[in-house]
Amino acid sequence: MRHNFRWNVYTGSAIASTLALPVALAWASAPRSAPPDTARQELEKQFAGTVRPFLSAYCLACHGKNKPAAQLDLSAYGNMASVTRDYAHWSLTMDRIGAKEMPPSGSKMPTSAQRDAVIRWIRAVRQYEASRNAGDPGPVLARRLSNAEYDYTIRDLTGVDLRPTKEFPVDPANQEGFDNSGESLTLSPALIKKYVAAAKTVADSMALTTTGLAFASHPVLAETDRDKFCILRIVDFYNQQPTDFADYFYAAWKYKNRAVLKAPGATLPQVAREAKISPRYLDLIYKTLTDTSDNAGPLARLREKWNALPAAPEAAREGCAALRDWTQGTRTKIAWRFGNLKVPGEFSTGGQCNILWKDRQYANHRRSFNPDKLQTGGVPATKTIPARRRGGQEQPEQTVVEPVDPELFVPAGDAGRAASLSAFSRFASVFPDAFFIAERGLMEFDDIYSKGRLLTAGSHNAMGYFRDDAPLMELILDAQGCRKLDSLWMDFNTVASVPERMHLEFFFYERNESRTILDPEFHFAKSEDKGNLAPDKIKLFADLYLAKARRNGGDETYLGVIQDHFQRVATDIPLTQRARRAAEPMHLRALLDFAARAYRRPLAEAEKTELLGFYKALREKEGLSHEDAVRDSVMRVLMSPNFLLRMDLEAPTSPPPASGYPPSPGHSCLVGEGGSKPLSQPLDDYALASRLSYFLWSSMPDQELISLAAKKQLRKPEVLQAQARRMLKSPKVRALALEFGGNWLDFRRFEEYNAVDRERFPSFDDRLRQSMFEEPVRFLTDTFQNDGSVLDLLYGKYTFVDTNLAKHYGMSEVKVPEGEWVRVSDADKYGRGGILPMALFLTKNASSLRTSPVRRGYWVVRRVLGEYIPPPPAVVPELPKDESKMGDLTLRQALAKHRMNPACASCHARFDSYGLVFEGFGPIGQRREKDMSGKPVDASAPFPGGPDRTGLSGLRSYVKEKRQKDFLGNFSRKLLSYALGRTLQPSDDSMLATMQKNLAANDYKLGTLIDTIVTSKPFLNRRTSIISSEGRLAKP
Amino acid sequence: MNDTKNPARDVSRRIFLRGAGVAMSLPWLESLPVWGASDAPKKPSATPKRFVVQFMGTGISPNNWWAKGEGAAMELSRSLAPLEPLKTKLNVINGLFNKPSVGIGIHPGMTGGILSGASLARGAVLHGGISIDQVLALHLGQDTVQPSLVLACEQPLTGYHESNFSMAYSSHISWQSPDSPVPTEVYPSLAFDSLFENSGSRRLESVLDRVREDAASLRRKISREDRGKLDEYLTSVREVEQRAQKMRSEMAKAASNAQGKSAPLLAMKRPDNGLPEDIRDHMKLMCDIVALAIQTDKTRIASMLMCRDLSGLFYPFLGVKDGHHLSSHDDNSEGYERITRHYVTQLAYLAGKLDAMPEGEGKTVLDNTCLLWLSNMFSGSRHDNSHLPILTVGGLGGELATGRVLSYRDKGDENRKVCSLYLSLMDRMGVKLSAFGDATTRLAGI
Repeated sequence: MRHNFRWNVYTGSAIASTLALPVALAWASAPRSAPPDTARQELEKQFAGTVRPFLSAYCLACHGKNKPAAQLDLSAYGNMASVTRDYAHWSLTMDRIGAKEMPPSGSKMPTSAQRDAVIRWIRAVRQYEASRNAGDPGPVLARRLSNAEYDYTIRDLTGVDLRPTKEFPVDPANQEGFDNSGESLTLSPALIKKYVAAAKTVADSMALTTTGLAFASHPVLAETDRDKFCILRIVDFYNQQPTDFADYFYAAWKYKNRAVLKAPGATLPQVAREAKISPRYLDLIYKTLTDTSDNAGPLARLREKWNALPAAPEAAREGCAALRDWTQGTRTKIAWRFGNLKVPGEFSTGGQCNILWKDRQYANHRRSFNPDKLQTGGVPATKTIPARRRGGQEQPEQTVVEPVDPELFVPAGDAGRAASLSAFSRFASVFPDAFFIAERGLMEFDDIYSKGRLLTAGSHNAMGYFRDDAPLMELILDAQGCRKLDSLWMDFNTVASVPERMHLEFFFYERNESRTILDPEFHFAKSEDKGNLAPDKIKLFADLYLAKARRNGGDETYLGVIQDHFQRVATDIPLTQRARRAAEPMHLRALLDFAARAYRRPLAEAEKTELLGFYKALREKEGLSHEDAVRDSVMRVLMSPNFLLRMDLEAPTSPPPASGYPPSPGHSCLVGEGGSKPLSQPLDDYALASRLSYFLWSSMPDQELISLAAKKQLRKPEVLQAQARRMLKSPKVRALALEFGGNWLDFRRFEEYNAVDRERFPSFDDRLRQSMFEEPVRFLTDTFQNDGSVLDLLYGKYTFVDTNLAKHYGMSEVKVPEGEWVRVSDADKYGRGGILPMALFLTKNASSLRTSPVRRGYWVVRRVLGEYIPPPPAVVPELPKDESKMGDLTLRQALAKHRMNPACASCHARFDSYGLVFEGFGPIGQRREKDMSGKPVDASAPFPGGPDRTGLSGLRSYVKEKRQKDFLGNFSRKLLSYALGRTLQPSDDSMLATMQKNLAANDYKLGTLIDTIVTSKPFLNRRTSIISSEGRLAKP
Repeated sequence: MNDTKNPARDVSRRIFLRGAGVAMSLPWLESLPVWGASDAPKKPSATPKRFVVQFMGTGISPNNWWAKGEGAAMELSRSLAPLEPLKTKLNVINGLFNKPSVGIGIHPGMTGGILSGASLARGAVLHGGISIDQVLALHLGQDTVQPSLVLACEQPLTGYHESNFSMAYSSHISWQSPDSPVPTEVYPSLAFDSLFENSGSRRLESVLDRVREDAASLRRKISREDRGKLDEYLTSVREVEQRAQKMRSEMAKAASNAQGKSAPLLAMKRPDNGLPEDIRDHMKLMCDIVALAIQTDKTRIASMLMCRDLSGLFYPFLGVKDGHHLSSHDDNSEGYERITRHYVTQLAYLAGKLDAMPEGEGKTVLDNTCLLWLSNMFSGSRHDNSHLPILTVGGLGGELATGRVLSYRDKGDENRKVCSLYLSLMDRMGVKLSAFGDATTRLAGI
């Protein structure tokens, strides 16, 4: 490491990282065999004649070989080539000499002419090199995924936003302030251990389903977590199905009235699609509603009500809701109810046999009705309340007469009765009493409506699940939906071992709750012993259980139910086990697919073989289970450098590089002393897809990008532009707003910002902080998604607020639904609009108890306009920390006093005014008339070459007149640096010029910049690799 | 691959361990030289502290649960009698409670938060809190093969109690996150393997070994400057792998060294696959595994669910016909007293084992450990969890005074939180939190 600091060639900004990369900023000098280059010769001559003597006279006393100040040894530069190799230092040197910061006061001073000559020379070197190497892809180092990229990539790889890097150390930034380059992203054993933990988090969140691999937001290891994962998938599926009768009634009404509704050509399936309901079921409903052949009972009433729906759509809609309620109400009245089986002696109605039998009765009667409920000739039925035992109290069976209900009327005469029964039958069949059962209470007590216990069979304490969704399958779902639902249930059985565990918990209930199997002959039946799942053990238990039931005097029905139960157990357990085994090859295919997506390119055959070999070795040599071996294989993929690192491999077909290689041995620079220009070659198609997606999404390429890469179409400029435009529209572009915008404008970590005095500013809570953080993210995301103007960032009169921000900004007239964000087009009315007056920046660049014109101004000048300001000297007088305790001075007066010191003035004059114009905003960005000591605020400030400017509008007009170019240049540099994943170098100058030109020609639309970048040479190419003797490009 | 191949991999430790079991003569501190560690001898201050929790479901036998006096003169009730030889290292703590689990319905609601003090969510989607053992594992578990051992002698249930709490709460006392319990290991053979074989470091090594191969093959395809980055990766991976290897090879060396000596051996054969027929054997094996894990420093944290709340275990050998839960409804009966004593016996067995392992000057492993024993109720017949039966054995390296009977019943609810005890114990393990569960203060007088 040669220097302990680094400076940006452009802004000269210091970076936090101490990582010095001698190769990063080097570029070529003239080719070895090139004809004499007069420009170069002239520059060499000037170096020897002007620059060297200047250094000797004014610099080397401190910056010489012997203990160089700031570890900058200027004596080491013997010719122009050595200067170009280390241009960053020379750029800094130029800045310091130009700013007259060097030589320091008190030492021997050069004349202005001498200064100018050296500065001119350093600039000339830059221009010379920049024009020679324009379009050089530059050194883009291999790099690990940044924490943010890792999280986004895992999100897109698994479909679940697991954020495994929550506990990782913060990534360091490169010279441009971004954490996405090899310059700053290092690896260490400690980080590898973190990656291991992260990979394990992902692998543990995986479920091995019957169709492949699926991921949950939580570990899928403990049985309760396995249950939860599978149950929620099924219940989510149920709840997504269109089962509301009202939707069907309304769609049928719309179809009937299609001519009136000006859609005379509409078909029933079209109407169904538009309403997002099942075409199949709508067809049935429409037929039922329009058929008049069986106009009796509930069907007659239903049709009458439906035909009488009002003509206005909204009223009809409401009518349909009422009709749904009527239908459901009537349907419930004629639904079946089932009591418990009669169980003998030591047996219990809470046991699985009775519970599952009851569940099955209900499931089998969803589309039929209980004729006993009908009131023949208006005579009501009697209702039997079965005997129940609850809380230790016995309640005997009760009989009550039900109330008279015209809906249940059936004529007493034979003909009328038959027609009515037939109508009830069809009604019950078309309108099931439930399409599916997602929740149940305790079935033993007929608590069929209880909520909260998802998919439970209704057993007490012991685990039990029951599937009851035949009407959904028969009436609503299409074939694909049925297959999906079947597979979700099969997944539940296999992933959570439902039949096996239910059988084992049978023992628990029968022994510990119902005391049925206390006899020693049942002692072998322990829930913990999986040996009890073997067919012979199942049979042994079934035989003993049945024998005991018989001994206890069980009736034939009950004995039959027991036999039936164990037959199912004996079938379901092996079936589930077979399904689990049959899915194993699918998991391996899914593993290969997972690896290809994780590596962001197709796998080579050898890689497939290796990965499957790893799995096999884990199974055979290490004795791991299939599931553990797949989990470890997933970890292995996520720990691979192919996943963790981004390496822009060159296109495999590219020709070997031309002569000039390799450079002198042992030299870490790409191009040798006086060597040739750097050669470039196209990126591999998949590497290009990655470069594009990590630029715009901070994440892996999606399927579309990968298939375009596979077809070798992606690199076509028009395809690249179209893809970039598509990607900008995606919600994933939020990552660009956050990772690019957040680092550029220095707000990436604001969610953890805690420097506000919350006692003095009680309105600043975590929610407001989060809203402040969201504002620029939303603003930038909007600009990206809608191809907004870059200038809107400065001059835009709009912004985005939620309820917290609207309140904070005093936007009383703006209506914001709770929890949502709205665009406020006339934010200027409230003193907002664009990024400059956003509360986040005003807060972050204030002190806890006062504003800070210094920090606000510095932020504008440095971050927004890209101007280099040297760091302050070590000893700086402190301003009072609390604005209300400033004494007689206002903050502005105190600052003015500070500027009277010439050592301070040279810098403060450059940014104080940019901050003073924000004095109308308090320490948490709230608008204010008076400062905290009660003095009226003054938001005016002097700006060079003109009158004072006041407030935000004053600043804006000044920037528009004098500094807009700086802003556009800075924005372009930052975006380019972020896109390329490296610090910029002089050869990028021409690219930056093109970006400016294109911006101006296209209304400053942001998309123009993206287009220009993604089709540029540096983006599409990489420097030609020098590959050592081991490699393909060995020794030309 | 030849250059990176580790010769140690050629020896199958599985066969070695399966065949010979693990033989160890010396506990943690003394055994370091035996293990062939090349590091300079560790200072005595490095003696680790350990924490083990044993849980028994559905309460104890209230009339048979008391202690009087101090130290060697302490007088113990019938159910506590098995702890007689350990009296000076015992604390009998009465009157603490876990407020969030009181009055919300019996059984599962009283159990799932017993080690976290969290309020539990009803219904299908579980939510609780991270438990004390897992907090400790998070802070102290990095240096061992397993951050913690989470064992159970019964499989978890996932049905529903009528209080609408999932039975999973009755089955899990250790939680790794508010949403997920730690999966429990019920099979002794697999618990044993988790310490010595395929899981943990061994599996990590397999993974890292392969990814280093990836890197090696990539290395041939990339440019020289990219190679710098790849080498950074490679070196880091190798270092992590070497640490894992070292841990294991020290283990193997220790085993072979110990075998060659005639010193008294603590030997443990790998338990047979499957489940022991007799629950007594099962519990003893689980205690043996925890003792071995602690002795060989494979882990410093363990949680043992000896039985669930609403346990399905039954005890013909104690002459009790009913299963655990129904027996608890008559908890002052002879039968349930015997059941209670059976569980205290497990604690005494594990404590005795640790106390037989010398560690440091005149001390034993038990002296550097805290065994915490508790149940989710005081009385199962009344489903009373307004105060809990709690025992600790072991002195945590002198940090925890022992030989005491402490009562908090009359100290006021704010001063008798079980989470305050947890804060105090964690303090003494070197994990200082400002709040845990429902407590923000330490337990006075502990």
